[in-house]
Amino acid sequence: MTLMAAERITRRFGAVAALEDVSLAIARREIVAIVGESGSGKSTLLNVMSGRLAPDSGSVSYDSGAGLAPIGAGGEAALLDLQRRRWGFVAQEPRLALRMNVSAGGNIGERLMVAGARNYGAIRAAASRWLETVEIDPARIDELPRGFSGGMLQRLQIAATLVTEPELVFMDEPTGGLDVSVQARILDLVRGLVRRLGVAVLIVTHDIGVARLLADRIVVMRRGRIVETGLADQVLDDPQHEYTQLLVASVLPA
Amino acid sequence: MQLYNFAYLDEHTKRMIRRAILKAVAIPGHQIPFASREMPLPYGWGTGGIQVTAAILGPDDVLKVIDQGADDTTNAVSIRRFFARTSAVRTTTRTQEATVIQTRHRIPETALRAGQIIVYQVPIPEPLYRLTPSRADAARMHALADYGAMHVRLYEDIARHGRVALAYDYPVMVNGRYLMSPSPIPAYDNPKLHMNPALQLFGAGREKRIYALPPYTDVRPLDFDDHPFDPHRADAACDLCGAADTYLDELIADDSGRRRFICSDTDSCETRREGGGA
Repeated sequence: MTLMAAERITRRFGAVAALEDVSLAIARREIVAIVGESGSGKSTLLNVMSGRLAPDSGSVSYDSGAGLAPIGAGGEAALLDLQRRRWGFVAQEPRLALRMNVSAGGNIGERLMVAGARNYGAIRAAASRWLETVEIDPARIDELPRGFSGGMLQRLQIAATLVTEPELVFMDEPTGGLDVSVQARILDLVRGLVRRLGVAVLIVTHDIGVARLLADRIVVMRRGRIVETGLADQVLDDPQHEYTQLLVASVLPA
Repeated sequence: MQLYNFAYLDEHTKRMIRRAILKAVAIPGHQIPFASREMPLPYGWGTGGIQVTAAILGPDDVLKVIDQGADDTTNAVSIRRFFARTSAVRTTTRTQEATVIQTRHRIPETALRAGQIIVYQVPIPEPLYRLTPSRADAARMHALADYGAMHVRLYEDIARHGRVALAYDYPVMVNGRYLMSPSPIPAYDNPKLHMNPALQLFGAGREKRIYALPPYTDVRPLDFDDHPFDPHRADAACDLCGAADTYLDELIADDSGRRRFICSDTDSCETRREGGGA
């Protein structure tokens, strides 16, 4: 049951080949982690698959219920519809993804309103419920996110993304700039939520620990190519490629 | 001796503007760019409205010009005199008699009828400027009918103030397709846009945009199901004519801060007084 498939993606930035002939498929409800060092092309792959960046060659297909179809085929409006209704995107920096001059409730409600919700009471109730789900006091629903801590902002972004119950969520280093204890709480939250909602996740991280905790499957990238892919435990416990061995070995023992 | 062409603008310019108007009428609520000319009045005084009026005026027309509902304020008087001098059309202050009404900030209280044209002066034609300063972004949002984010603003108002805190220039959906700025008319006037028998034209001179509502166009203010559009009106009657159903201006009457409310539409107020305050 393939939900999304990228086939033979190549994307260059000037002389630099960020992606070279990369293919990747995601199944329904599957959590796939892309790991690799900075500049390995993992974020570029995420941007291409989420339709934010056009590849130079290759195609990305998505199954909206009638079989796999290229995501750009229906034009910009159809792609926007996918991004708004079926997908979600959690960025590393919540301050850029959220509207900082709009209340927490407004931020969560935005995706609902964009999707056509026109009942204030229902939108507010959903926002309040989601604040509780991500462990933010619902009494702060009318506060601006400006006063929130980094971890709270990231949880708010997760709530604002998952409120429409998407089928597939893209995450770009969601625990990037956070301290370790906050990271652990957010990962715990994400793990619980995606399992409960049955969301497929494509997560980019340079942190092997994040991949170990969340992922069903791990894809290792280096210099724009996928060097190894397999079940999470298999890749982490018995890495085949020398670069993966290096990655796994470079983690400090817990 | 005639110093200017009929209604000031040269015929080529008028033709260009009429083309824009025809396009605008064909796509209700959609903003059409036009080559706005330098006019002998400053931007913000009605350069867009005056060009639209100049392009549609014929020798048989009867022109009314209002500013904030009044026929006797500087802007209204000078624009009316401008057209009287450059086109020799008949002018009036009576909404009933006029065939073309140029307006700033109001729609007359007297219901418009089929065959009349109302021309609005528009400072900011783009309702999405409240969300994005980029015209490219706004154009993309219009093209994709991607207006959900406008509701975030309304949501914020209701969460903060208990109601939508927009007293004028309240955005409307036209024909279920385009989001449109009704120009800075009070929200109280918004229902008059809906299914109006008159042709409604909007001209923005500085922003170089023309848009239109053909007669009997569906025009709905943005709102929520459980917080329907509810425009504000001062809870008083007009001090001069006693009307309790018109839009009122609030005036400070003396040094002790006493307030008076009078009709903003001078023509409807006078008509009512002449008719014995009925």
